[in-house]
Amino acid sequence: MTLKNCLVLAAAGLLAISGPALAESYGPFPVTVKGYGGDKSDSTSYTGQAARQVLHNSLKKLAGMGDGSNAAEIKSQMMAYYAGKEEGRAILDPKSKDDFVVLQTEVDQISKGKDLKGKTYKGVVNGWPRKMTGSEVIEFMIDKAATAKGGFDPLTGYDYPQLISKFAMGAVFYNQAVDNYLDEKLAANNKPNNKPYSEGKHYTGKEHSWDEGFGYFGAPAHALSLDAKQAYGIAKKKDIGVADYNKDGKVDLYREMTYAHAYYAADADKSGTNYLHTIFRAFLDGRKLITAAEGEALSDAQRAQLIGYADTIKTNWEQVIAEAAFKYAGSVYKDLEKLQTIVESGGDANDAFRAYGKHWGELKGFAMALEAGGKDLGEVGVRMNRLIGYGPVLLGGGQVIGIDASGDYVIGGNQDMGNYMVHMLKLQKLLAEAYSLSARKNDATAELENLIESLGESLATEND
Amino acid sequence: MFELTAQNLLADWAGQFLDPRKRLFWGYLGSAFLIALIWMVLLGRERPVSACRKLLARDLWCSASARADYAVFLINTILMGSIVPRLLGHAAVAVFCFSLLHDLFDGRASLLPDAPAWAIAAGFTLVLFVVDDLARYVVHRLMHAVPLLWAFHKVHHSATRLNPLTVLRTHPVEGILFVLRGALVQGLCIGIFVYGFGDRVSLVMVLGANAFKFVFNALGANLRHSEVPIRYWSWLENFLLSPAQHQIHHSENPRHHDRNFGVVLACWDRLFGTYCHSEPNQELRYGLGPAVADPHSLYTLYLLPFREGVGFLHRIFIRRWRRQLTPPLVPTDQYQSNRAIYEID
Ligand SMILES: [Zn+2]
Ligand SMILES: [Zn+2]
Repeated sequence: MTLKNCLVLAAAGLLAISGPALAESYGPFPVTVKGYGGDKSDSTSYTGQAARQVLHNSLKKLAGMGDGSNAAEIKSQMMAYYAGKEEGRAILDPKSKDDFVVLQTEVDQISKGKDLKGKTYKGVVNGWPRKMTGSEVIEFMIDKAATAKGGFDPLTGYDYPQLISKFAMGAVFYNQAVDNYLDEKLAANNKPNNKPYSEGKHYTGKEHSWDEGFGYFGAPAHALSLDAKQAYGIAKKKDIGVADYNKDGKVDLYREMTYAHAYYAADADKSGTNYLHTIFRAFLDGRKLITAAEGEALSDAQRAQLIGYADTIKTNWEQVIAEAAFKYAGSVYKDLEKLQTIVESGGDANDAFRAYGKHWGELKGFAMALEAGGKDLGEVGVRMNRLIGYGPVLLGGGQVIGIDASGDYVIGGNQDMGNYMVHMLKLQKLLAEAYSLSARKNDATAELENLIESLGESLATEND
Repeated sequence: MFELTAQNLLADWAGQFLDPRKRLFWGYLGSAFLIALIWMVLLGRERPVSACRKLLARDLWCSASARADYAVFLINTILMGSIVPRLLGHAAVAVFCFSLLHDLFDGRASLLPDAPAWAIAAGFTLVLFVVDDLARYVVHRLMHAVPLLWAFHKVHHSATRLNPLTVLRTHPVEGILFVLRGALVQGLCIGIFVYGFGDRVSLVMVLGANAFKFVFNALGANLRHSEVPIRYWSWLENFLLSPAQHQIHHSENPRHHDRNFGVVLACWDRLFGTYCHSEPNQELRYGLGPAVADPHSLYTLYLLPFREGVGFLHRIFIRRWRRQLTPPLVPTDQYQSNRAIYEID
């Protein structure tokens, strides 16, 4: 205990003295492939993943661009970003804003011929009706989003940009990283380190596999020199000074942007957790280990250590998603409270209902993302899906309970708003316990705990 | 590891005297001492020096009863600190109430939306205090009424001399019941208030303690367990229990048995017919009388209650078993053999 405290203090002291100088970035790393004759000097490569990050950002943008009359056009555009590999696709997000200038404007400038569909979770998604696979869910949603005005369907409460975005983050990025690159690709004979990733490449099999996992996380390469607020702010295009690490005046969407899960890790970390740096550090340490092998096959001991880093990443990454679901369960709870007040006073509930749909979409998307990690969530998954349901409970008490043969939503049931609020309370409790959450944003029972805390423990044996 | 534990224990022991949320906080002990002194000098016409001598008398503080109090205090800190997670139940009860209310009233209530936060905090603090006082009355009364519970509460009443530390002369089993009582009361109040008033609820505190508790403790709550028979005017005793009234609760005299179960407010005893005024110049003998042979031994304080408790349970279950084992539910020969077993005692 004391020793640990000393170490922590010493580490903090060191950091305070040497400041950003200690922070390391993810890459560049030397080329270690034996017999490589090319002119490349940096073996780091995750451009394909960065390209998919901007594809995802752009897809989300498009999902909110339907106006009720442009369905066919919007749908084909969305499919181009989801399932297409065509050249010439513009980056719809992130785009330059004021003095926050981004370097790339087309996807191909980062990497060519990339799509999302090919990398989407192949398993069945239990949280969505009709036992669809990951990509079936996304394509179904794309179809619906194209006809919805601004991506929102007031009859069901579905906010498609949120649903598509949050689920795709899980079904593509999280799934690819934890179920592929940090899983089977760590096996000794899968993408070995003593061979180039593929003929003529300047990185080894293991180097590139690991880099790809890192690319899906979505952190800027210099994340260790950023605090949670700064890393979060980059995605919000807050301060180019913070984002532009190489000081070329532009933000490189490949190496200097915060995307997807790294953004949500930073969001949680603003409440005191350390997910972003923990995950980043594990990726960095793993990459250093691989680099240090200098192009030789990894020994069993090295691979065991690498698997240890991978486990750290998987655990924390899962927590990041669960923290986000927890946060939005709290938002949904608050939205229901607001809606109730408005309905009781006979006010106009439109805006509040819209906000409710948005938060519900984020909640649902993250909950389905948890499922897409490729491991059976067991009882937790079942309870989570039952508490949330297929759709938000509507003002009349119904909610989506299924999808019929022609692809139309079936609305049924009659659940009280109050009861749905209880579901959100139970959901937060479930997530907090199942995933040992500690950021716990928007905790709907936080006031209860604060009060209990303020009462303190009374002496149990004080008689009267 | 052992060092850490020892340190924690020392901190726990010292904490009893340093934490203003606890009855034995040095400030409360000091104020009780002053109140007793002033009372003896002004009303008892004693000289300050002799009053002090009486209050600090060696035969009181070093009596067998007092020494048992100290031992129980030290031992309980070890036992309770390690086995009882003290705040766990509170949150469970609070969340349960809070959730239940959503279902009962379909959604979240926002009561008195225009009331200022200080008023709600004052209301919460008062309600918590009153409900807690009532719960203490009820549990205390049950401790006397139910033989199984009395076996454990007897430990508190076995004190033959009263000093402020007697307040901690409590069997750990009773301590666990107190934890549950606290969880129920606090969880209930917090759950209901937060449901109705949201983040406007807070506790009015003085030195980190509930303001009402603070006043109660600062005004000499420690004298309840002392031999200074401070009484109030008769009209005041009708509202607030005086130290002398709690001393009556500890009286060996059967005439005083089952009187004054309350802590702060007299209304519960008055309402449920267990109230008793203090008496002028009351001279009481404390404890359980000659029925208990060795009231201050660790065996009597810790193990005897279990033996007695098991005895009660044994008798109750034997009766049940007998009823269940009557024919024709059980074949006769088996019944006979069972009977033989159970009728040995
Ligand atoms: Zn007492
Ligand atoms: Zn009693």
